[in-house]
Formats: sequence, structure tokens, C-alpha cells
Amino acid sequence: MLSVNSLTKRLPDGTVLLNAITFTVEKGEFVGILGPSGAGKSLTMRCMVGLTSVSAGSVVFTGEQGRTYTTTTIKGNELRRARRNIGVIFQGSNLVKRLTVLENVMIGRLGRIHPLRSWLYGFTDREAEEALAALDRVGLASFSGRQTGSLSGGEMQRVAIARAIYQRPLCYLADEPIASLDPKNSRAIMKLLQPLARDHPIVGSFHQPDMTAEFCTRVLGLRNGTIVYDGPPRLTRAQLAEIYSQDLSLEPEETLDAMSGPVLGHPVTSTGHWL
Amino acid sequence: MTRAVERSFAVRWRDFSLGRYRRHLRRLTLLAALVVLAAWRAEVNMHDLITGLGRGLSMVGLFLPPKWDAFPEMIEPAFVTVLIAATATPIGALCSILFGLAASRNIAPAWLRAATRTAIALERGIPEIVILLILVAAFGIGPFSGVVALVIGSIGMLGKLVGDAIEEIDPRTVESVACTGASRAQIIRYAMLPEVLPSLLANSMFRFEVNIRASVLLGAVGAGGIGYELSTAMSQVEYNKAATAALVSFALVMAAERASDHLRSKVLSRGQLA
Repeated sequence: MLSVNSLTKRLPDGTVLLNAITFTVEKGEFVGILGPSGAGKSLTMRCMVGLTSVSAGSVVFTGEQGRTYTTTTIKGNELRRARRNIGVIFQGSNLVKRLTVLENVMIGRLGRIHPLRSWLYGFTDREAEEALAALDRVGLASFSGRQTGSLSGGEMQRVAIARAIYQRPLCYLADEPIASLDPKNSRAIMKLLQPLARDHPIVGSFHQPDMTAEFCTRVLGLRNGTIVYDGPPRLTRAQLAEIYSQDLSLEPEETLDAMSGPVLGHPVTSTGHWL
Repeated sequence: MTRAVERSFAVRWRDFSLGRYRRHLRRLTLLAALVVLAAWRAEVNMHDLITGLGRGLSMVGLFLPPKWDAFPEMIEPAFVTVLIAATATPIGALCSILFGLAASRNIAPAWLRAATRTAIALERGIPEIVILLILVAAFGIGPFSGVVALVIGSIGMLGKLVGDAIEEIDPRTVESVACTGASRAQIIRYAMLPEVLPSLLANSMFRFEVNIRASVLLGAVGAGGIGYELSTAMSQVEYNKAATAALVSFALVMAAERASDHLRSKVLSRGQLA
């Protein structure tokens, strides 16, 4: 379904951000990636959808009718075709704030409708109804006409999930979907994600080992860009300590610099890789 | 009182004494010297100011009273002035979306952005009157030249604002739309335009007001309208008629300002900031 093969990302100055990340995801799996900030969780996901270029390795995604896409090398239309089959659940604050909730959900189908129609005519009534159904699934149907910027963090996160559901992808990538939420909202989001994974696998990055233990089927532990754990979701105290232990070679400031550098800070401006 | 408190009190007291201006003294002297030098170069002198004021005031007397029965013949020129601005503003606003996109580094290639930004900066450096004089040579005297001049002027202002607004869009929002497999055109339509259109609308209202003002001025140079009436009345020494034209253009500018303020506040309150 999704296989990540020795994915490596190096900065021009030689700093290794991802070190030969390798794992595969099969149908029915809900994979949670755990790791301290700056370990490379988000970066791994960005490489998987071709938002960031990689230094070595590849990500192969099996799309509709068994077609395979190497998302790390393809560009243009081919990349767009791959992306429409991958539902990215990003942090809710990345929604288009000035559009309504329903419009944000409908953006999920942009890859499937003709550009000319999306420009001149917009969406059909049937698409709107389906989008409303997706919103209903996350419990926000009554919010459809609201301006997205006026929603709370938890509500925006649900809209982001509704958008991914509406996209009807073959697998989901969730980048810290519960990072900025309170425990109650976090549980609610995890309960929404869990049943999705039965039909289409989810890879998500998390900061809460208790949540991944309860809801995920498998956990990857990432530390300094290297996978240090790959196994069942209930980790022992020692295993957790290994993932989160202090690394003295990299000061916290340096980690932050690496995060905000050309790789994550402004990828659009530096590489134009989203196209 | 402990000694520390006493000392801090003394420090604070000194801060409020006249002495605290001393450190600015050198800079102020320099500034004053510059002003004096500039005044001397510009031949400013009090005697000319006072005698000149008197002459100017007696000139104002020539304009009074305004020739009220000339008012009906001002209505059509006033319309022309408004129409020049009303045609130029929306066309300029539409064009400025294209120029704004071409001037943004998150959608346009670097060479295009540089070229567009340079063109806009060049345009902003040239007064509209100069543009109009060039256009008059091309299209002849008349409102059309005025419209084209104001369209170009509007693009110079609005295009830059749109370009800056697009560059300020959160790249993560753009990426999240791109992740659905959306094309470049779809990203513009669904991630960029919704975020910049409300402010473009508000700025266009403001630009309409500026364009009315400019349209009066350009009229005098050959675009027609109320400005043209004003300048011909002046050159034919019909000062009372000129006063009527001046009053009408004053009313136009005031009305445009009120209308633009009203519409702008409506637009801004509807597209509330997230």
C-alpha cells in the first residue's frame, strides 16, 4: 500500500534530518509515529506527499487499480494524481480561513474535478451534499455556512478530517492531528480516526503515547531522524525512554533551527515543491 | 528610607529635569541647521509671505460670488469626471489581480516577479499627469486617455498591495490545498483569491476616491470633465464660473470620500479577520 524505503534527508551543510527511514503500511493499519519535536515526524510525512524533496530513498504508493506512484520523484500531473488518493489531515489551522466550512471540505475534491469547472462554476449540488455528509460524520453539519476562521481549534481539526474523508483517498496521513487540542477533544478526534483506518490505512504523528497505545495498531518511534522502535502500540517505560531520551549531540536550539530552516519553514518559497 | 531607595529616587528625579534633553541637543541643532539651509535655498522670506497673502486674498475676492447660473452646464462635465474614475477603478482592480499574482514569489517564477515588481515601481515613480501627457500623444485629448492613465495608476497601487497580500498567505494553507491534488490554477482560486479579495475590495474603494481626485486634476490637462471646465474658465478670466466648477469638484471629492469610507467599513466588517 505505502512503502517508505531508506528515506534520507540531508541539509546542504551535511546535517542528517532523516536517516534511512524504512517501513511499510498495509490495509487496516493505524500507524502512530512518536518522537520528540524535531525528530523528523512531520518531515517524513512531507516527503511522503512530495512537499519536500529527499536526498535519497523513495516512497512508493499503490494507488487506484494497483497503479504505483513513487511520490518522491514524480512531478506535475502525475504527482497530482497520486496526491488525490492520499488524504492529508493537516493541522486544522491550515484551512482557508476566509472560506466557509463547507467550501473548505469541498476543496478535498479539487484534484478530481476539471480545473475549468472549478474556476468558473464551482461545485455541483451533489458534491455539496456529499461534503455535508462528511461534515455530519465529524459532527459539524450545522457549521457548514460558518466562516472557517471563526471556529475553535478542535472544530477546525474536525473540518480538516471531514475534508480528508470527502476526498475519498486510499490512505490517510495525519500530521499531528491532536497536537494543539485538550485531552477531551484529542480523544474525540482519535475516535473519529480509528474507524477510518479499517478501510484505508492511516499514518499519523503524535505526542501522546497514551493515545497511540489506545487507538493505534502499531507505533513507530523516531529519534533524531532514525527509527528506534517499530512494533505494537503498547510501549514499555524503557522503550519510551529510548525514544524520548535526551540527546546531547543536538542542543534544543539547533533542533529548532533545523525545523525552521529551508526544509520546513518556507518550502513554498525555497523549492516550489508543492506544485 | 534605605540608601538604595534614596539613590533610585534621585536617579528618577534627575530623569525629569531639563538636563534630560541635553543628549538630544546635537541632533536637534543639526536638524535646525538643515531647515534653515533649506529655507534659504527655497528663498523663503517673511516680507514676501505677508505682501503675497494680501494679493492672494484680493484674488479670492475675484471668485466671489460663484456664478450660480453656470451650475447646470457643470453637471455633464461632473458626470464625465465620475465616469472616468468609475470605469478606471474596476478595470484597474481586475488587472491588479493578474499583476499581483505575477508579483508574488509564492506563485510566479523569480524572473516574472522581478519584472513585474520593477514595472510597478517604475509606474509608481511617474506622476499620473506625466502618464496622461504621454497617453494624450497616443490617443488624443479626451476621457479615454484619462481612463487609461487612471487604470495604469490603479494597477501601480492595487497590484503592489495584492502582490504583498498574496506573499503573506501562510504557505501551509497553500500546501494543504496542494495536497488534495489541486492544480496551480485551482490553488489560486481556492487558497489565494479568497484570502486577498476582501482587502482588494476595500483598497479599491479607497482607490476610487483617489481616482476621483486625480480625474479632476487630469481633466485640466486634457481628459475632459469638471477639471477641464475649471481650467478653461480660469484661462478665459471667468473667475466666478471657475468658482462654480471648483465648488462642484469639491462636492464630488467629498461625496466620493464619504461613499468610499462607508463601503469600505461595510466590506471590512463582513470579511472579519480570522
